[in-house]
Formats: sequence, structure tokens, C-alpha cells
Amino acid sequence: MSDPDDLPPAPDAAGTSLDGTRVFTITAEENAALCRSTGIEPATDGTAHPIYYYIATQVAMGKTVAGVCEACEFDVEDGPMMGSSGVRFDAPLKVGESYRVTGEILSLVRKRSRKLGVMDVLTYSLRLHLLDGTQVLETDNVWVLPRKEFAA
Amino acid sequence: MSYAAGDALPPFTIESVSPEAMKQWAVFLADPNPIHLDVEVVKAKGLGDRVINQGPINVAYMMNMLMRAFPGGQIMAMDSRFLDNVYGGDRAVVTGKVAAIEGNVVTCEFTLDVDGRGTVNSGTATVKI
Repeated sequence: MSDPDDLPPAPDAAGTSLDGTRVFTITAEENAALCRSTGIEPATDGTAHPIYYYIATQVAMGKTVAGVCEACEFDVEDGPMMGSSGVRFDAPLKVGESYRVTGEILSLVRKRSRKLGVMDVLTYSLRLHLLDGTQVLETDNVWVLPRKEFAA
Repeated sequence: MSYAAGDALPPFTIESVSPEAMKQWAVFLADPNPIHLDVEVVKAKGLGDRVINQGPINVAYMMNMLMRAFPGGQIMAMDSRFLDNVYGGDRAVVTGKVAAIEGNVVTCEFTLDVDGRGTVNSGTATVKI
């Protein structure tokens, strides 16, 4: 990374709400199809594949992927890239259970890299809750938004 | 199966990453990004000549390795880094080891590698056994 001071600042997206309004339900049929698509059979104890941490929060957050990019003044057609993803489970995800999402954009930081040129690093946090409000997990995701308009 | 710190975990292998699975995941994720669905779009964007696996599928492969290694265990936390793309047709292998054991909590380190291009994802996780 070099000094980004010669660049205009990243858009002020921190604090943007990602609270969802819809309910996400993990169905047995979809869980089974998802498990098999990754090379395993679904569990028989009622638990869903833990990758639903990512799917449920993305699908039921308050913005689409394109909408999150728009909040960062970034065109989704320019290709956001996943940088990292972390999750902390308070309870296992279950088939047949319904969930809601709360969350927000934590930061959007402009950087310069040798490999990608100028990019904005987006960090956002999402929480998955049972319908009674009990939190079952929290996830922080980092996306890299390459800023082609600043290419040399 | 019991482990000690430093032990290798049984690998989890996908012999050929499936473009058909990518179509399913476009629905699961409600995200019809064409780089996962249309090789002509991948070529036009200069990203290669095969469709690109959705990142969360790669995380699922790593979770599968953990679930196979610890039957009945529960992933408590996991962090994944995305280092490179996985393409349709790639042979993908998750390998890992036990980094530490504290009571009934095992800390693991792992990578997802594809033939010919090395590590494309890496991660750490804690599993309650």
C-alpha cells in the first residue's frame, strides 16, 4: 500500500443500515440440495449447513448486493470481490427455522495496492436473529471494490 | 476420533467443481452474477475462460472438512480469507490441522487448494466437540 492522501476520500458509507425486513426460512429441500451441491449429505439431526450463515444474512439483509455497492457509490458491474468472511455462532442453524437480519456498514476505506490499484475496502456486519429477537450468529464480511476510475 | 495439537485432519476433496452447482447457488444467494453462470461474460471481463465458483461455496467446502473431521461437533467460529478464484472443473482439496485443543474446543487451521494454482482460500475455526 502507498499513501492514499492524493486520492479523494471514499464515500461516507459507514453507518448505513442493513437491517432486513423479510424473514428467511431454511427449508429442508433447499438445505438438502445445498449440502449435496457441496459434496455431502444433509445432517439428520435437524441442523442446517452452517454456510447458511452467509446465505441467510445476504438474502435477508436490507439491501441487495447491488444495493450495498450503491451505498458505496460503486457499480456492481465493476466486480466486487470477497476479501474475507468471519462468523461467530451462538447457536446452530436449524432446518425449518425462520430468521431476521440486522446489520450495518462498519467502514469503507480507500487504499492503493500493487495488484489491484485503487480500491475501497468495505467492511459490514450482519446479525441473524430468531423471530423472538434471540441472536444466533454475527458475521463480518470484507469486500474489495476496485476503483477503475482511478486507474493510471 | 481423537486428535492432538499438530495432527492433520482428513482432507475433503471436490474432484471437479460443478458449474451446475453454481447455477443452484445463484438461486440460494439470490445473486445472479453472470461470472458464475456464463463463461462468455468471464472471458469478456478478462477473468479467465471458465465460470467462477461463488466464494461462499468455497467456505462450505472448508466447513465440510471440519464437519467430517468432527462428527457431531459444532463450528463455533470461523474466519476465511479469499485469495484467488476457484473455477468450474477445478479439483479442489481442503486440508487442515489441529492448532490447539482447550477442553472440548478445538482450534483448526486449513486451506483450500486447487490443482496447479495452489492455495485459493485459507481459514481458521474453533469447533466444540
